[in-house]
Formats: sequence, structure tokens, C-alpha cells
Amino acid sequence: MTEKEAILRKKQLRYLLIHAAVIAAAVVCVYPLLRIFSVSLRPGDKLFSTDLSLIPDGATLSAYASLLKDTMFLRWLWNSLLITLATSFIGVSLASTAAYAFSRFRFPGKKAGLILLLSSQMIPAGMLILPLFLMIMKLKLMNTYLGMIIAYSVSSLPFSIWILKGYYDTIPRSLEEAALVDGTSQVGAFWRIILPLSTPALSIAFLFNFTTAWNEYLVARVVLFSSSQYTWTLGLFELQGQYITQWGMFAAGSMLVTIPVLAVFLYSSKWLISGLTLGSVKG
Amino acid sequence: MEILRSIYEVAWFILLIAAGVAALVGYLYTHFRYYDRGWFAGVALAGYPVLALAGLRAAGLQLPSAAAWLFFASALIYVFFRYAVKGRHTVPYLLLAPAFVGLALLLVYPFVFEVYLSFHDLKLTTIMGWKNTGYLPFVGLEQYVKVFTTSPLSEVSFWALLGRTLLWTFSNVFFHVVGGFALALLLNNAIRFKGAYRTLLVIPWAMPQVVAVLAMRGEFHSQNGFVNIFINKLLAVFPFLASLGVAPVQWLSDYPLLTCTIINVWLGIPFMMVVILGGLQSISSSYYDAADIDGASYLQKLRFITLPLIKPVLMPAVTLGTVWTFNNINVIYLVTGQSGGTEQADILVSALYKAAFTYNRYSYSAAFAIVVFALLFFISVTYLHGFDAAKEER
Repeated sequence: MTEKEAILRKKQLRYLLIHAAVIAAAVVCVYPLLRIFSVSLRPGDKLFSTDLSLIPDGATLSAYASLLKDTMFLRWLWNSLLITLATSFIGVSLASTAAYAFSRFRFPGKKAGLILLLSSQMIPAGMLILPLFLMIMKLKLMNTYLGMIIAYSVSSLPFSIWILKGYYDTIPRSLEEAALVDGTSQVGAFWRIILPLSTPALSIAFLFNFTTAWNEYLVARVVLFSSSQYTWTLGLFELQGQYITQWGMFAAGSMLVTIPVLAVFLYSSKWLISGLTLGSVKG
Repeated sequence: MEILRSIYEVAWFILLIAAGVAALVGYLYTHFRYYDRGWFAGVALAGYPVLALAGLRAAGLQLPSAAAWLFFASALIYVFFRYAVKGRHTVPYLLLAPAFVGLALLLVYPFVFEVYLSFHDLKLTTIMGWKNTGYLPFVGLEQYVKVFTTSPLSEVSFWALLGRTLLWTFSNVFFHVVGGFALALLLNNAIRFKGAYRTLLVIPWAMPQVVAVLAMRGEFHSQNGFVNIFINKLLAVFPFLASLGVAPVQWLSDYPLLTCTIINVWLGIPFMMVVILGGLQSISSSYYDAADIDGASYLQKLRFITLPLIKPVLMPAVTLGTVWTFNNINVIYLVTGQSGGTEQADILVSALYKAAFTYNRYSYSAAFAIVVFALLFFISVTYLHGFDAAKEER
């Protein structure tokens, strides 16, 4: 064996080891998801078998059928969707104008405002749930969509403002200046030029608002109490928690919720991550 | 009936969004008059006050007094912008106003309200009175004394919670960074299927957290969870492991904190991996080429090139991760929060949540929250201070 061959052999061994390690890690990451899938296919009498195969014996879709038929799962998804869409709309529209002010103007209090936004991220989320809960109770909005929308609407606002400001900063000012010369006002330039140009950033902010509200559990737990008003997170918790016999339905519901979320996340992760780093690097 | 109700809801929802858009457009129009289409004026005149009135009405005011308040508030805003904020700063302030009003009402006000609560006595026996009359007995610092002397839950003390929180935060962040770093280094090689691996590895982060945690909780169940099934199968194949003390464990009842930590490490590694991988890919390969010429070993390259260059990316991620982990109620509550759940795994923030909503000690938990906030504030300030000092040294 020549020296060259030995080096080549060593290199191949190295790549083999790397692949083995990465595959092992990937299995750990994916296996729980596959398990949910497998449990969701189990027939009712074999729910607690210690079988580890991916497609169980006598696989059926009965858990899915009974989930849709016997529980209010669709209703829960619907509730979540309404609340989430409304909060994302509010969050993005409030953030879009505020970020523009931070990006293009110099005014007294600008630095203080930005610091306020950053430091609001330091407040433990759990801390604000109690006063929000009491406020919503006082406004007689318990167990309503509106109460949930109010509680959620500003939770992602600081982060959205931060992302959008970062994006606006990259749009050259000359575009607006041209519009100003043509006779529109500063806000007209924002409405007609900056907003259409920043569709990618707006969609990231929308997506971020959407996923935050969509996956939220702790506020929903205290504001909503009748099961027809539940969001899907509360519904799944109930299915998994109260009666262990409903494990199959829990698994089926998890699959139905997870697959679209995974698809959207994997599709958008590139932009989402660049948005994250944009925010942190520009600091 | 169900269909009718759904149709009604959709209509209501569309109306709500339309009113919101009208309010925003109207807000911009009434203040800037930038748009040259007449019907916007109508939208502005209709949407804005209608929504404001509806909001005030929801806040429990009768219509005449709500209208009076709206008029008063509008007049105040007008005077503020006409005389206090003159000239070129008007535009940014008006653009900022909706967001900052939202933040003030739903972030700053609750915070102040929490401080107020912590000096009063709101609990299950006084809440009805407060709801009807707004009266709350003032108790001074009593709640703060109680935070340190009585248990937030049924037995665990504040100091035990504090110790557990520090342990939880440190061990989680440590394993997140180490695991994320290892995976990022592996993925940073020129290997095949890199994109596919990366996609698979971010799945724990991408899954809805509630689903991920609840599913993992099921997998730690002593009989039906795959962790114990796996241990049993392992024992069947390698019987000698039993003499080393490997045996199925009652994860949820005997080792709840460990279980939560494993779940949270599993959840958190992908984020660190993605951040670190981004940093690694931005390091120019010429550094490594130069080191190769000098005959540096792999570990030397890691120590003297990779670590220093990755630091600007790593530090913000670690800071963020520390705050997130410190504040993580979700994992612990979802694993232990059901009726009859243990308090062996509770950290400060999850005890805070349970004290308020399982034990209904509202004022107590408000004082508790202020203490936790002060603690977190103190830690972050010292940390950032040290970070700045380290920056200046360089």
C-alpha cells in the first residue's frame, strides 16, 4: 500500500464516522415523531403494546376517524386559526409602521424606545400572564376569542419591529427620495414603496407571529375554560392527560397538527434564520 | 345550527379584520392625508371611531361616557401633537403611536399592575369583592416576606426553587451548546446529503412545542414509553448490563427534573446547531489553510481559530438561550402540571405559574414574580457588564 492510498483510506474512514454520527443524531431527532405516527395507526386494542415497529400490525386509521367524529378537534383547530390570524394581522400592522419610524427618522427618544423594546424581551413571559388574566376577567372577556386576541396581540411585537427595522434599513433611501420628489408625502412613500418592497420581511414577521400564537399554551389554559372554545393545544393536552386510553387520538391529532407546521417551518426556515441573525447582528 | 354558527363566526371575523384595516388606514389618513382617493376619508371617518368606541364599550363603559372619553382622549392627542410635538418629529411619533399604545396597555400597564397587586391582598376569598367593587386590602410588604418564608406550592421552598432553577438553566444551556457545537462541526464537513441531514436535525425545533413535549412525556411513561421499552430490549440482549444497575425507571415520578432536562435538551439543541453552523460557515477557510501550513493539530485549530471567531455569534445565542431556559414554563408545566403532578421538577417560573393558577394565590405570586424579575434583571446586568468588559479587553 502506498502512502497515498493510506491517506485516502484514512479519509474515507473519517467520512464514514461522520456519517454514522450524524445519522445517529438524526435518528434521535426524528424517532419520537415516527413513534407518534406509529401510535396513531394502532388499532384500539393494541394501543399499549410494546411493539416498536413503525407500521404496527393491523394498522388502521380508526384513531383519526374517532378523533374527527367523537372530539371537537376540528372546532379546536378552527378556534386556533381565528385567534392566530387576528393576532398576526394586528401584530404585523402595528409593527410595520413602528419599524418604519425607527428605521427612517431621527427623533428624541429613539434610542430609549429601542432599548425599551429589547428589554421587554427580558420580562419573564410567565410574569405577565397573571395581570393579563385579571385584566381580561375585569373586561368580562374570559372564554372569548377577543380576550385571547388581546392577550396575544403584542407578545411578538418587539421582535417583529426588530426584524422589520433591519429589513427597512437595507432598502436604499433613494427610492423614497425619488417618490418624494414626485410629490408624495413621507407616509405615502412608505405606503406605496416600502411596504410593497418589504413583502418578504412582512411575511417572516407574519409567520413568526403566527407560530408563536399557534403554539401558545399557558395563556390559553387560564383564559379559555369551556371545551368548545379550546385551542388545539388545550385540546391535545386534555386528550393526552385525562384518559390514557385516548393516546391513539392524541397521536392522531398531533400528526394532523404537526405536518403542516413542519412543512411551513422547513419551507421558510432559511428566511426565518436569516431574520434571526439579522436582528442579533445589527444589535 | 352548527353551520349557521360557523358562518356567523366567519362573518364576524372578516368584519373584525376589515374594521382593523379600516382603523389603520383611517388612522394614517386622518393624520397624514397622504392618499388622494376620496373614499378613504369615509373609511377613516367610520372605521377609526367605531373601533375605538367598541373597545371602550368592551372595557365596560356606557356609550355616552365612552364617547366622552374618546373625545377627551382625541383632544388630548391633538393638543399634544399640535403644541408639544411640533414640526418634523410629528411623523415618527404618529407612526410609533399605535404600537406603543399597544405595548403600554398590554406590557407596561400589566407590569405596573403586578407591582400594585404585590402590595395588596388578592386571593380566592377577596377576588369577588375586587371584581365587583374594585376594593383590595393593602398589606404592605407582607407578600414579599411570605415569598421567602412560605412555600409557593405545598412544600418546596423559595431557596430550593432558586437552586433548582440555576441547576436547570446551567445544565440545559451547557448541553445545548455542547450538543449544538458537536453537530454543527460534523455538518460543517463537506459531506453528502448535508441538506437532508440538516432538515432532519431541526425537526425537534420545528415541531409545535406542545406536541413535542406531550409526546416525549408519553415516551417516558414507565410501561408504554419507548425509553423503558428500549431499556428492556437492551437488557434482553445484553444481560450483563443489569449487574451494572441498568434497569427500567419510573421516569415521571422518580426523576421528574431529569426527565424535563432530557426533553428540553432534545428540544433546544437544533437552535444552537443552526446558529453555530451559520457562524462556522462564515469563517474563511484561509485561516485553516494557514494553520495547516504551520502544522497545527485539529484541536489547536478548534481552540485558536474556531472558538475565537465563533464567539460573536455564540455569545448572543447563549444569552438568549439562558433567558429562554430560565423562563421556560412550558416544558415543566406540560410534563408535571396535571392534577396530582409532582413539584419535584418545578423551577421558579413554573412555580410562579402554578402558585397563581393552581393555588390561586394571586397577590403572593405577583410579589414572587417581582422577586424573580429582579433576580433575572440582576443576573443579566452583571452578565452584560462582564460581556462589555471582555469586549473592551480585546
